[in-house]
Amino acid sequence: METTVASPPAPAADSINDSLSPNDLAGLTAILAKYPAEKRFSLAILQDLQRQFNYIPEGAMQLVKEHVGTTVGQLYALATFYKALSLAPKGQHIIKLCDGTACHMRGANNLVGEVGRILNIAPGERTEDGLFSLELVNCVGSCALAPVLIIDETYYGKVTMEQLPSIINEYRQPTGGETDE
Amino acid sequence: MSKANASQSAPARQLLICCGTGCLANKAAAVAEALEAAIQAAGANAVVQPDALQLKRTGCNGFCENGPIVKIHPDDVSYYKVKPEHAEAIIASIGGEPYQALLYRGDDKQPVTRQQDNPFYAPQHKVALRNIGQIDPLAIEDYLTSGGYQALRKALAMPPARIIEEVIASGLRGRGGAGFPTGIKWQTCAGYQPTPKYVVCNGDEGDPGAFMDRSILEGDPHSVVEGLTIAALAIGAERGFFYIRDEYGLALHNVQAAIQAATAAGYLGDDILGSGRKLHLEIVRGGGAFVCGESTALMASIEGKVGEPRAKYVRSAERGLWDMPTVLNNVETLANIPYIIANGGAAYAKLGTEGSKGTKVFSLVGKVNRTGLVEVEMGATLRHLIYDIGGGIKRNRPFKAVQTGGPSGGCIPAEMLDLAVDFDSLTAKGAMMGSGGMIVMDDHDCMVEVARYYVNFLSEESCGKCTPCREGLRQMLRILTDITEGRGQQGDIELLERLANTIKDASLCALGKSAPNPVLSTIKHFRAEYEAHINEHSCPAGVCSALCVYTIAAESCTSCSACKRACPLGIISGEKGVPYSIDSERCIACGSCRDACRFDAVRPIKKERQVVAS
Amino acid sequence: MSQQLTITIDGKQCTCEKGEYLLDVAKRNGIFIPTLCHHEGLGGIGSCRVCICEVVARGRSQVVTSCIYPVEGEIEVFTKNERIKEQRAIILALLHHLAPASETISQMAAFMGADLPRLADKEGGEKCILCGRCTTACEQIGTGAIAKCGRGVTKEIATPYHQPTAECIGCAACANVCPTGEITCEQTDESVTIWGKTFEYLRCSCCGEPFATREQYEFAASKRHLPADPDTAAATGQDPEPLCEACEKRATAQRLAKNSIQFVVEP
Repeated sequence: METTVASPPAPAADSINDSLSPNDLAGLTAILAKYPAEKRFSLAILQDLQRQFNYIPEGAMQLVKEHVGTTVGQLYALATFYKALSLAPKGQHIIKLCDGTACHMRGANNLVGEVGRILNIAPGERTEDGLFSLELVNCVGSCALAPVLIIDETYYGKVTMEQLPSIINEYRQPTGGETDE
Repeated sequence: MSKANASQSAPARQLLICCGTGCLANKAAAVAEALEAAIQAAGANAVVQPDALQLKRTGCNGFCENGPIVKIHPDDVSYYKVKPEHAEAIIASIGGEPYQALLYRGDDKQPVTRQQDNPFYAPQHKVALRNIGQIDPLAIEDYLTSGGYQALRKALAMPPARIIEEVIASGLRGRGGAGFPTGIKWQTCAGYQPTPKYVVCNGDEGDPGAFMDRSILEGDPHSVVEGLTIAALAIGAERGFFYIRDEYGLALHNVQAAIQAATAAGYLGDDILGSGRKLHLEIVRGGGAFVCGESTALMASIEGKVGEPRAKYVRSAERGLWDMPTVLNNVETLANIPYIIANGGAAYAKLGTEGSKGTKVFSLVGKVNRTGLVEVEMGATLRHLIYDIGGGIKRNRPFKAVQTGGPSGGCIPAEMLDLAVDFDSLTAKGAMMGSGGMIVMDDHDCMVEVARYYVNFLSEESCGKCTPCREGLRQMLRILTDITEGRGQQGDIELLERLANTIKDASLCALGKSAPNPVLSTIKHFRAEYEAHINEHSCPAGVCSALCVYTIAAESCTSCSACKRACPLGIISGEKGVPYSIDSERCIACGSCRDACRFDAVRPIKKERQVVAS
Repeated sequence: MSQQLTITIDGKQCTCEKGEYLLDVAKRNGIFIPTLCHHEGLGGIGSCRVCICEVVARGRSQVVTSCIYPVEGEIEVFTKNERIKEQRAIILALLHHLAPASETISQMAAFMGADLPRLADKEGGEKCILCGRCTTACEQIGTGAIAKCGRGVTKEIATPYHQPTAECIGCAACANVCPTGEITCEQTDESVTIWGKTFEYLRCSCCGEPFATREQYEFAASKRHLPADPDTAAATGQDPEPLCEACEKRATAQRLAKNSIQFVVEP
């Protein structure tokens, strides 16, 4: 049974949203409007925020907490427990290397090293220009195609180290920009 | 299975193209588009007119490494590894000679057209996977045509106790790994008075190497919706949840579509088929946590909390979601329910073994020739699965072990290949069937590294609440890492066993209690490998890169240059007529050269180590 | 009326009500079971696993944590047989290497014969054993300002972003229940500093003693639906003014007496 938490005193108004632009605030409000004001939607709201902003902005925590009736402490616990959520911005393109058993056995480690050599980042890190971030993920269920690499929503199967530079290059154009060849 | 009356006659022929996640990764979407274009372009000259030929996008056929897969129905001709450029030839072949180049060639290298002649499919007995590959998962009409929702109609006319009787009679046991008798779980929950009650489908399949549930949710979501609805009728629940892994995008989409279609058709909602019974289903997306596959952690997650399990001294059937009576079942378990209700529990109980009725879906992956999803009667032997269906070990290498049950399971050596795969036979031997993941390993796999890999996985996925699991895994990981990096000490094996036994008994939940299984089973069956790492600083399988480098045995080398082309660091040199050689100083033992060599010429040798002053 | 049961603990017959926690039954019968995460006021958590016992019921045996195990049948319990002693020792050894700076834990470990030098100390590990008493207290009687963050081997007790948090009211319930003294708070007559934040103490308007932080007072008042700000209350002449617990009781008693509630006193 849910028990209501008596709200602790609210902080000064300035600190609530100062890291959110008016646009961001509008986006956040739209997300909150989709959910009833119940604590059980905390995770779903945070996931929507993650998709919208590519991370959970600190400035969003106060509004989320007030909407669902929880504490920033609890929201922070959720954000650090669930790997789908991140507190620091991810790259524009997220490179996920599957480290499931089949992929591990077929050399996922070598691919990690190779991506590291090409982009100079380790799992959990983002490139300086913000274009790419790298993650090692749990089995994605495409084991027959090991080793598997996913960039954004696109799956690449049976990836070899030689293929990595050209695969990554497909994403090098910053999104929205036209480049001349 | 009854056929629904279609408002228009179904096309004479169907082109079924697999669009499960695996085939999509292999560009199946482009193949589908090419086929559509080819159908239109064929025009008046075609043997089969375009409007008599329907392209249907289906779910996972199971034979994933050979996708994209296209099947012509009712001719029963299947094509594999299809590319967009094959589209015209496929269309042209319909009604005539099959397109030879794309037929599957079995162990005897002869092409086969029918699935029942394909050694991967022939021995299978599909119940949970009965519709997948035949139907468009986004078309409820397809599900109805193959008999869908007949079981629900029947269940609506049965008293709940009768529904439960059938499920008990079927002998169905939970397919998620624990194997608890499903009918008993429903009966227990039905016996509790407090309301509201809940039904939950556990779609948080997290075992690395397992993708059975993913393909059912993608390929036949209505079968799970129907199963969950029947469960709700049996226990008296009016609300239910699908908890699906965040990473399973296509499954989430297809289940959402199925719930909407089922509601529109009256199979869900405030008044199911005019019966006055109610059920509303909601989808909750996982947050990226393996532990949320544990039922109490999953429920905590639905409640909006972190996925920490609770002790099961009080069963969820009595106090589960929001402390109310709850039935939680695995995806595959629920997919079997419509079959059981439609055909009767006794029919299901004819399949399988005494203690393990029915069939089981396995994901057979790793070093076998034919990898993918396989459904067989319980009681099939490991040998049958790996050699008959799987076609034996890739490149004819020696079988070393098969890892079953994911991170909760154990490694089974060659001596035990004739064990029947069911709930109890493997458990009796210290292994575990688990959710059905089966990872086949050969002599190029290091069992100590396998143990370290699983402990590493679990140390991050553990919720971290209880001491034995969190701290025990932390310490086991350190010791196993030491062993794989040449810092193992005398007494490490005994210490691992001591830690393992406490973790097994004293942990709070099933994740912790089963975490030591990979360590204990590899120590039991491959102790010599541990000893080699500790006593001799050597990795016999040639995997642990701190302990070995590669060299080329001159007498076996044919100068084919495959190794040189495979080497990511470019440290292999050689030319025609001369044995190739590897610069051992720079070798990182990635194994690419060994995998590429067809003559067994690449061998691991012990790495020269610098003596560290103590 | 609850069902009465008879169970055996270490060979001794004990009676209890169905549903009672095993730890409480043992305690009542003079059988000592060591604990860490269990707290009299907060109940058991089931995280430290120190209170484990072997329970044999209907021919099956399992290891359970007595602080949250409800007795449902006529079971046989062993609190210190060889199996339990071994596992308890391992658990204490693990806790010792997690919290090497804790005297309490190293003494417990030594007492239970836990000595495994091959295990490694956690880097930066001090005294926290992740029992969860602090977060339970904060959630149940405080504001939920601190929480268990992260997962698996990276789990830790923290404020959001490891920064001082507006939600902390300085009640120090967490520090009070911490079994190893990991959570420290510096208290003077004027203030308390905890989790990186310094709070001023309010003084009782009656006896003048410091008794709670302003934030703590306002939080408690909000739970009782009373005006929170003592300064405003004073300015508008409204009750209540900040009173410490003792003075609050006295004031309440006086108010009850004034409002003519009759107490019948037996001669």
